[in-house]
Amino acid sequence: MSVKYIPVQWNFNKYFYDLVLLICVAVYILVFIRIGTPDAGVTRPIDGAIIRMRAFGTCAFLMLTVILCIGPLARLDRRFLPLLYNRRHFGILTFLVALTHVVYVLNWYYAFSDISPIVGLLTTSETSGQLLGFPFEWFGMLALVILAILAFTSHDFWLAFLSAPVWKRLHLLIYVAYAAAVAHFALGYLQDATNPFFMIVAGGGAIMVSVLHLAAGLKAPTDGAQDRKGEWIEVGDPTVIPDGRAIIVRIQGNERAAIFRDGDALSAVSNACAHQNGPLGEGRIIDGCITCPWHGFQYRPEDGCAPAPFTEKIPTYDLRLEGDTLLIAAKAHPPGTKVDPLTVPERET
Amino acid sequence: MGNALITIIQVYGALGGLVAIAFLFWGVDRIAPDARGAYVFRPLLIPGVVLLWPLVLWRWQVLERERDVAQRRHKPPRRSQDVFAAVLALAIPIILAVALLIRQQGPFEWPAQEIEQASTEGAGQ
Repeated sequence: MSVKYIPVQWNFNKYFYDLVLLICVAVYILVFIRIGTPDAGVTRPIDGAIIRMRAFGTCAFLMLTVILCIGPLARLDRRFLPLLYNRRHFGILTFLVALTHVVYVLNWYYAFSDISPIVGLLTTSETSGQLLGFPFEWFGMLALVILAILAFTSHDFWLAFLSAPVWKRLHLLIYVAYAAAVAHFALGYLQDATNPFFMIVAGGGAIMVSVLHLAAGLKAPTDGAQDRKGEWIEVGDPTVIPDGRAIIVRIQGNERAAIFRDGDALSAVSNACAHQNGPLGEGRIIDGCITCPWHGFQYRPEDGCAPAPFTEKIPTYDLRLEGDTLLIAAKAHPPGTKVDPLTVPERET
Repeated sequence: MGNALITIIQVYGALGGLVAIAFLFWGVDRIAPDARGAYVFRPLLIPGVVLLWPLVLWRWQVLERERDVAQRRHKPPRRSQDVFAAVLALAIPIILAVALLIRQQGPFEWPAQEIEQASTEGAGQ
């Protein structure tokens, strides 16, 4: 959250998350090398260095696959939200694993030469004009550069400095990185792999990413979404909003508001968290504050301000009743504007 | 081509280094209140500034001139994300299918043809 920046904001949950992640990566690489070692040797086509670069390469690919699955899984089923909580550390570790893979590749296939390994990587292929034999390393390099950009801009400073929408646009490059990684895997490893295990695991993982994104895209994005023009937008029956929860209303175009109920009081705020534009309306009220489901950022319902000492603010909206129908103003107040909550009857149970 | 690219990368990186020095020693204190008095985290920003210095310069001048529109910070690029996700979802099976089709050894293996026979047929035409 705000207040002075520190290098890494760790807490117990993040320590646990990172520890599990590190153990999984270490076990995967050790098991991969252990299983692959009997087939390796200096007199064979596959030696120890190749086994190690494949261990790190496949590990990075599978990590990227899991990262890409977390977003749609959390949208389809709230039980996956905890995985989203520390996804940035997951991404940074994926970059480091991918970088280790590249270092092994450069120090093996491009070693003992007068030209630099990078120049060699970019110039030695003679089959760039055709699909079969296309230098799949180029796709890998593209994926690595994107992962580097995402890892280097993962600190909260970048979110505040670039603003969440710009930061999110930049981080949409993860989709390009994954497509490049799939092409790298498909035109490289998949072309001469004889062991079906990794073809099935990696190919199946990629297909799972595809299916999950399609399923999440088809799922109705909001509850009670409206899209009407005018000064006031009809929401419907206010008693359907559960206590401590919200419904999300589409205002105009891409803008969405979250209407929260806290007892008999209704308040409306922007649905986009000031931190990473997480969906506040999918969160709940904890200790009297709206709490983002992604990273726990909190805001007071009545004015959209984070409790002291934090300084984040989100826009607020006017609400009114017309008979039994709830209406929300189409235009938001500037972030942090106090709006008196609307009192409505509590939900009948 | 490779050497020219390396030269471009080096020049880009050197300019990024200069921007990083100016930004982290001077600019960041002016535009980021939460960074004032916080120095330990700044080295972590160096690689990002070097990689993205044109973007950094753009945001720096926007914030310096107080042209940042607060409301825009609360409008996530939801449509862009939906488009990216849909394109990726379609691209993955296409990439995998093409890779399997051009694969020389199964699962879609074409019947082998003797090279001499093929060249003889070609010569006869």
